[in-house]
Amino acid sequence: MADDAKKKEVLEQLRNGVIQYDEDACKEGATEAIEAGLDANEAIFDGLVSGMEEVGRLFEAQEYFVPEILMCADALYAGLDILKPHCKQMDLGVKGSVVIGTVEGDVHDIGKNLVKMMFDVAGFNVYDLGRDVPLDRFVDEQLKTDSELVCLSAMMTTSMVGMPKVIEKIKEKNPNCMVMIGGAPTSRDLADKWGADGYAEDASNALKEAIKMVAFLKKLRDEKAEKK
Amino acid sequence: MNARERVLNLFKGEPVDRVPCFSGMGNITETGINELGYRFAGIHLDAKQMADTASTTYKLFGYECGVVPVDLCVEAEALGCVINVYPHAEGILYPTIKEKLIHDEAGMDSITIPEGFSEKGRIPLMREAIRLLKADIGNAVAVGSYVLGPFTLAGQIMELNDLLKLSFKKPDKVARLLDVCADALILAAKEFEKAGVDYITVREMGATSDVLSPRVFKSLILPPLRKVISEISVYSVLHICGKTNDIVTSMMDAGPTAISVEQKNDIAESRKKLGPSALIFGNIDAYNVLVAGSEELVRSTVRKCIDDGVSAVWPGCDIWPTVPPQNMKAMMDEITLYGGKK
Repeated sequence: MADDAKKKEVLEQLRNGVIQYDEDACKEGATEAIEAGLDANEAIFDGLVSGMEEVGRLFEAQEYFVPEILMCADALYAGLDILKPHCKQMDLGVKGSVVIGTVEGDVHDIGKNLVKMMFDVAGFNVYDLGRDVPLDRFVDEQLKTDSELVCLSAMMTTSMVGMPKVIEKIKEKNPNCMVMIGGAPTSRDLADKWGADGYAEDASNALKEAIKMVAFLKKLRDEKAEKK
Repeated sequence: MNARERVLNLFKGEPVDRVPCFSGMGNITETGINELGYRFAGIHLDAKQMADTASTTYKLFGYECGVVPVDLCVEAEALGCVINVYPHAEGILYPTIKEKLIHDEAGMDSITIPEGFSEKGRIPLMREAIRLLKADIGNAVAVGSYVLGPFTLAGQIMELNDLLKLSFKKPDKVARLLDVCADALILAAKEFEKAGVDYITVREMGATSDVLSPRVFKSLILPPLRKVISEISVYSVLHICGKTNDIVTSMMDAGPTAISVEQKNDIAESRKKLGPSALIFGNIDAYNVLVAGSEELVRSTVRKCIDDGVSAVWPGCDIWPTVPPQNMKAMMDEITLYGGKK
């Protein structure tokens, strides 16, 4: 087990690497974390994700904009790719798989990719359908994978209106499946009206919502650890 | 004063009898398409169908303009992108870009405007559609068209993800690409002018402050935007979606006759910043109010736009075709009731 000073240093390096969109720093930090015997899950959550939380805050404060977020995400993945093979399977009592994609008629996938990143971080099985996805494919993929969550993204008002059809079909076949919608034109009202369980209107919100989900998973993990 | 005189007077800075209600973006309705017996997927590829459909919003509701095209892919297609019009879709799906032109950073340098650009893709079809629309309703309303902004076009011909990161990492490279895009847009705009449009809207949707910092907007987006707008000889409108309060001054600096903003813009604040004579068009929520809202919400929103100080009541985006006819009627009725009071 790594000593506390070393651990603190490595976590700090991972966190700052993400905030300063420094891919090399994240790679180094991740390698050091493994060599020092740090728990990989801890390095991910208290290093990389903690950095991404700060990035979300900087976006909110309008110090960072979308280009910065995208570069921070690259840095996070650089660390995550190294740490992930060392993660012990998190036993959370949920299966944790998600179907995600941008709806047909829309080729914008930045928000979708940011949310996907947080699910990757949380160790979900992510079935990424990509962009411009025919509506029925969401329904089929959910059935095929028995995922408990489906995320639908749209950037344009002109493509968003396909969403209620998908939600209706999914809920009809599998009432327990949760559906999250996201993208600039969506709103809480629309989410409620269309029967979606969650929504995020922009990259920052998508990030926050996804972080919330991940934070919730982390809490479960900590509670489980305490019980042991 | 008919709708055409009203809109043209507004652009000229001359007196109008009331606030006009029109758009520089797509405004066709399903009601109009159905009346003609057309299909949405068909109207993008047929000049007559496009022009016929565009005329119905005026003919059915008294909307004070006619605008073509309907989709956002005309320039990218003329540059060589493959588009998807979803020919078999039952509902309404707007065309998208299927194949990008630039696949990596190196590709940014080799991009050029194809020889004979003004005959590529649907540019000839656009000229024809404008002529037909003009012949049909051009005496009654102003006829408009639109081009994208250079950054938004760049986001169509290469991965937006890469473009955004490179605008941070390699702004010089992006600036060169935007300059090529600007030249293509100027060529397209000139063709639309030849066909007889009265005004052109430049839609730089990708450069909203939700995405890019006002600093990057000024240094990277503004110069090519200014270039495009300075080459437009008819009236011009610069439209940007999303948050725009921090950049309205820069938008005006780009040199358009008017600026267009959506519902995330606080119009009263923009009006204060830009002064009483600036032309500010906006900012009816084209989906949540016009399509999903009640008639009363439409009416109260029209009044609020006017009270906040818009120069023309105009939707913040394309009007979504499923707009209920009674909401279109309510909008036009309210503008005649309330538009002359201020």
